Amino acid sequence: MFDPGRPLFLQIAESIEESIVDGSLAEESRAPSTNELAAFHRINPATAAKGVTALVDRGILYKKRGIGMFVATGARQTLLDERTKGFADAYVAPLLAEARRLGLGPEDVVRLITEHTGHPTDHSAHLSPQEAR
Amino acid sequence: MTAVIEVENLTKRYRSTTAVDDVSFRLEENTIYGFLGGNGAGKTTTMSLLTAQNAPTSGSIRVFGERPYENHRVLSRMCFVRESQRYPEDFTPRHSFDAARMFFPRWDEDFAQRLIDDFHVPVHTAIKKLSRGQLSAVGVIIGLAARAEITFFDEPYLGLDAVARSLFYERLLEDYTHSPRTIVLSSHLIDEISDLVERVLLIDDGRLLIDESTDDLRGRAVTLTGNADQVDRFAEGRTLLHRQAMGSVASATVYGALTDAEQAEATAVGLERSSVPLQQLVVHLTKKTRSGHSHSHALAHPTPSSEVHS
Amino acid sequence: MTTATHLTRGPLGSIERTPGATMATGTRILHVVRLQFINRYTFLWVPLLITGAAVLISLAIYAMVGSDDPMYGGAGQAPLWYYLAMGVQAMSLTFPFSQAMSITRREFFLGTALAAAVSSTALAGFYVLLGIVEQATDGYGLNGYISLLPWVWSSGWAGAAALVFMLTMFFFFAGFWAATLYRRSGTMAVTLALVGLAVVLLAVVFGITRMEAWPRVLETFGTMGPFGAAGILACAALVAAAGSWLTLRRAMH
Repeated sequence: MFDPGRPLFLQIAESIEESIVDGSLAEESRAPSTNELAAFHRINPATAAKGVTALVDRGILYKKRGIGMFVATGARQTLLDERTKGFADAYVAPLLAEARRLGLGPEDVVRLITEHTGHPTDHSAHLSPQEAR
Repeated sequence: MTAVIEVENLTKRYRSTTAVDDVSFRLEENTIYGFLGGNGAGKTTTMSLLTAQNAPTSGSIRVFGERPYENHRVLSRMCFVRESQRYPEDFTPRHSFDAARMFFPRWDEDFAQRLIDDFHVPVHTAIKKLSRGQLSAVGVIIGLAARAEITFFDEPYLGLDAVARSLFYERLLEDYTHSPRTIVLSSHLIDEISDLVERVLLIDDGRLLIDESTDDLRGRAVTLTGNADQVDRFAEGRTLLHRQAMGSVASATVYGALTDAEQAEATAVGLERSSVPLQQLVVHLTKKTRSGHSHSHALAHPTPSSEVHS
Repeated sequence: MTTATHLTRGPLGSIERTPGATMATGTRILHVVRLQFINRYTFLWVPLLITGAAVLISLAIYAMVGSDDPMYGGAGQAPLWYYLAMGVQAMSLTFPFSQAMSITRREFFLGTALAAAVSSTALAGFYVLLGIVEQATDGYGLNGYISLLPWVWSSGWAGAAALVFMLTMFFFFAGFWAATLYRRSGTMAVTLALVGLAVVLLAVVFGITRMEAWPRVLETFGTMGPFGAAGILACAALVAAAGSWLTLRRAMH
């Protein structure tokens, strides 16, 4: 479920981000409360609270007094932008490192990508890089 | 944060052994602690000192600002049922719960009844005839339903099957959520409780090795695998917790988080980074002190980025 | 958040008591007495049952033997040994439990002493009742007596009651002290204490024999009557109680 070697609050924040990005948690809808998160994931409420606070600090969630946490307008776009920026580090760099070990040059990688995306049976072919994760 | 327990230089010596060795820490209100360490590390002794079931050789303990020894004002706000708890002759679980109801001012009888049903405790069977798991359940029920402001659970899962254990964690979390208090879970099943506990205290051979937020600890150690020379170059100057090699490939677990630049560098030279689960980190740290490295004692209050880079 | 004013709602919506309101020590001591009686078998029914059984067995023997002279039996001492065991258990089993109930040593000691007194009173009452029955029925019609021993009743029922009460208290605290010593210092300490006690007793016996004072000693015991004996036992019980407390104060797990 969770990676036992990474801070749990980050993973909680990421799981909420994930729901926002895939659309299951719409903007201006109520986000799960700290207690709901704690009960659902069976984690310490303080850790869940820390995860939520991290998202509030980044403007992804905001607090409505006495009601709870809500997803900010524009949160999804913010997250998508962040992920696009991180895409090169997270996916391209390891891809090239592996390619180097295999003796493939950047042009070989480009060729492989082109071939792969051109393959008609591949279901992710129609996705733009922004939507693919 | 308000400290409910403050411990300074606590030591407990028996004739030939030192069970608790110059330990200092504080416990905050409304926090769940994981009190980790192997058998005989000093967990039970420490808890019995805090609850005045035992008297220290030296050092000071303050509970709610007062000395706990023979102090009923403070004691009645704590609950500590031992793993090897003894009960009066011919007592049944029902007798024990009736007694607990008298002595714990916040006892919740409805909650106790629900837990009795949950754990299928035979309330009218003599305690000495109960199975190990049922015996543990009696202690767990007293600890939970007492709702004491500071509650200690001493290896509460012994003899409980996986279902009963997860039920315990679930009930604990539920109840904690709507009546927060300070809970200390002593355990060596670290993986099972690591998601529940906000802070970790690790004790080994009577000494406190770690007193840190669980989440901080999760990113605290890293394992680097790859070319042995590169691995050793990275491990140089860091606290090495574990190293193994096979031919020209080595893997080293080092204490202290890597900076972004270091992470990039490691990737660039072809080293694979993997995070170290809490359980494994604890195993490494414990082994390390056992093998006699003196500097590991300094891990109790680490400042990773400054210490590790020097 | 100050915990003293912290109110939470239980699962069924009941307002829980505030933690700040700790019970008075007196109340907690009374709760210890109740704790000892939660299982009424231990402190009440078993001693009475043992006494009852001893009486029945004695009666059977009296009936079989049969005699014109009054027969006196020593069955009355049977429950005393149970009180010794009870003292041991109060320490070895109930004390650790009392610690899990967050009771101070002082509260536990005073409550347990009070519980022993209640139990001893019940046993003394039972003896007196038995004596009255024996008097009324001329020894159950068999001329056999268990409670109504001439010397014990020489100062009336009150003397007999005082003697039985003090005997049981002494036996209880003797057991309690031995168990406390064991808990604190192990088998060696108990053995040493018992050997020491035996040496002292032997020395006293030797001294009396040496001074050829036995007739005077016996005479003293004869003249002091049950109240005097109860007084001596009270002193012994007090010593055992004080010793128990001093040992318990520092008794650890």
